[in-house]
Amino acid sequence: MKALTGNLLDDGEAVFLGHDGQWAARFADAELFDDEAAALAAEARAKTQITVVVDPYLIDVIPSEHGYAPLSYRERVRALGPTNKPEHGKKTEGGEAIDALLHAHGAARSKGRVELIRRK
Amino acid sequence: MYQYDAIDKEMLADRVAEFREQCERRLSGDLTEDQFKRLRLMNGLYLQLHAYMLRVAIPYGALSSAQLRKLAFIARTYDKGYGHFTTRTNLQLHWIKLKDAPDILEHLAEVGMHAIQTSGNDIRNITADPHAGATADEVDDPRIWVEAIRQWSTFHPEFSFLPRKFKIAVTASPADRAATKVYDIGLRLHRNDAGELGFEVLVGGGLGRTPYLGPVIRGHLPVRHLLSYLQAILRVYNRHGRRDNIWKARIKVLVASLGAEGFGREVEAEWESADNAQVDLPDLELARIRAAFTPRNFATLPATSAAFEAAKADPAFARFARHNVKPHKIPGYAIVDISLKKPGETPGDCSAEQMELLANLGERYSQDEIRVHYEQDLILPHVMLDDVPAVWKALGAEGLDTANRGLITDIIACPGLDYCALANARAIPIAQAIAKRFEDPALAERVGELGIKISGCINACGHHHIGAIGILGVDKKGEEFYQLTLGGSAEAEASLGQVLGPAVPANRVADAVDSMVEVYLRERQEGERFLDTYRRTGLAPFKEAVYAVAH
Repeated sequence: MKALTGNLLDDGEAVFLGHDGQWAARFADAELFDDEAAALAAEARAKTQITVVVDPYLIDVIPSEHGYAPLSYRERVRALGPTNKPEHGKKTEGGEAIDALLHAHGAARSKGRVELIRRK
Repeated sequence: MYQYDAIDKEMLADRVAEFREQCERRLSGDLTEDQFKRLRLMNGLYLQLHAYMLRVAIPYGALSSAQLRKLAFIARTYDKGYGHFTTRTNLQLHWIKLKDAPDILEHLAEVGMHAIQTSGNDIRNITADPHAGATADEVDDPRIWVEAIRQWSTFHPEFSFLPRKFKIAVTASPADRAATKVYDIGLRLHRNDAGELGFEVLVGGGLGRTPYLGPVIRGHLPVRHLLSYLQAILRVYNRHGRRDNIWKARIKVLVASLGAEGFGREVEAEWESADNAQVDLPDLELARIRAAFTPRNFATLPATSAAFEAAKADPAFARFARHNVKPHKIPGYAIVDISLKKPGETPGDCSAEQMELLANLGERYSQDEIRVHYEQDLILPHVMLDDVPAVWKALGAEGLDTANRGLITDIIACPGLDYCALANARAIPIAQAIAKRFEDPALAERVGELGIKISGCINACGHHHIGAIGILGVDKKGEEFYQLTLGGSAEAEASLGQVLGPAVPANRVADAVDSMVEVYLRERQEGERFLDTYRRTGLAPFKEAVYAVAH
């Protein structure tokens, strides 16, 4: 399963493509793609939104105790905020969706991100 | 300190206006990200995990009170109220918005600061001995020469697109507090047998994926030829550097492949063929720059202070005096180290309130000057011994009185995977866990001098190769693991750490450090630091202890 992520152009915030086609701040609002072709098509569309989002890429998503979570530790840090500052980032809102991310396991780096780093 | 003149100010104003327009064109879609990225990086603006990050240059780590106050204002207004001092003596702001970046640069320009050449394949911010101008063991003030290099290299068209980034450090003291052996160019000011001032020139040091200690390519370069010789080195690098392979593009790889002698011959040939008089600094210009660093009016004081000695009746102050107060070249003065490593806190982080306090203390007690040390700590360089107790008390109000400089809790850690887009693993929580383990000041003091340095990836921003204990975060089969190295040092007798053995998982790192400290306390002989004991015993006893616990 995949989700589409990127950073907003104007403030750099980590965002996820939502069910409504808008970019959402919360991973819990991300659309999850079962179909790889649909995911790739969404990624291709996102790459044309150059005034909205920077470097969109697909990430792997896995089931967690309370829902779904990004497979990679890096992506969970992006979805939660830095672990050294409890008061900063999206984790501060709490709730089940955040718990799902906090309790997820599997720290592999997502392929999309690895390719992005390689390109940079 | 050096003050920007009309030309400097005009140049900065132009640059801010140019970047403002570039940002507007990016936000409106006139520029794509690929077109814009190079432009924003040339202004120190990165895109990281949670937001944009602005890296502000602090040349030779020197800040006036007004500059530090401005950084506090920016941190509070445009960030989340703090900044992060780095191992390159820069300040990173981790929560910046693109639309705010031009305004921030305008604020920085008001106090003679910028973020130019804090990224990209150019000559980066130049560092120096953080005790420059305050220590008795220097032969000249290295800031003068760094300022000359800064002015020469800023916007230098020939060196704006080098094969890779390029870092220079300068010291004028035999005690190397600037880590010159692990820089692309390390410059060590000294006097030769004839008493003439010159530079020992080291080229090709560096950390990262392939660490090297820089070899000496010229033992004594007369100071007047500094800029032309740097030009020759950079021209040889520009000509022969590996632009085809990013992993082999740093000058250290070129120097290693040609050999120090071979590289040196190329440099000498280039240098002798150039019109060096066109490049070298005219005496008048050198005098202008030197005047900016003329010592202030220090008072004539006795070498000792009754107030300072009396304050040591308080054991907490006595501990601070032992670890954070260093000798000054002027009798009756001291260099006061400010630790940004309170156990449990993020190494190098400084809140806006802390910055403002330090700006006030710098203004009142330290001739309007604050320094940044590459070990992610700050310094008040010129404090009267009589005033040290008052400074210490004031520091305590903002949690800045931690008496641990050089001790096991004074840990270097890069931002790692908590912020950085390139990291493989987190560095900060590892530092926090180790620091909490040794937070008892008496324990930390019993262990003594021990530098732990942690990087979240092989790029080595946390200098793990030169830690007495180095810790490198790696991605091992999808988990955060940490490779341990022992025996690194950036001192005059510099050395690169040796890998201890297989990487350990995150939750075993503090235990592993604990085990190694136990070995040291058991094995050490009179007067030995951790590093000395390691150099005498080698890896074996440490390896045995760590892997008995970790596996």
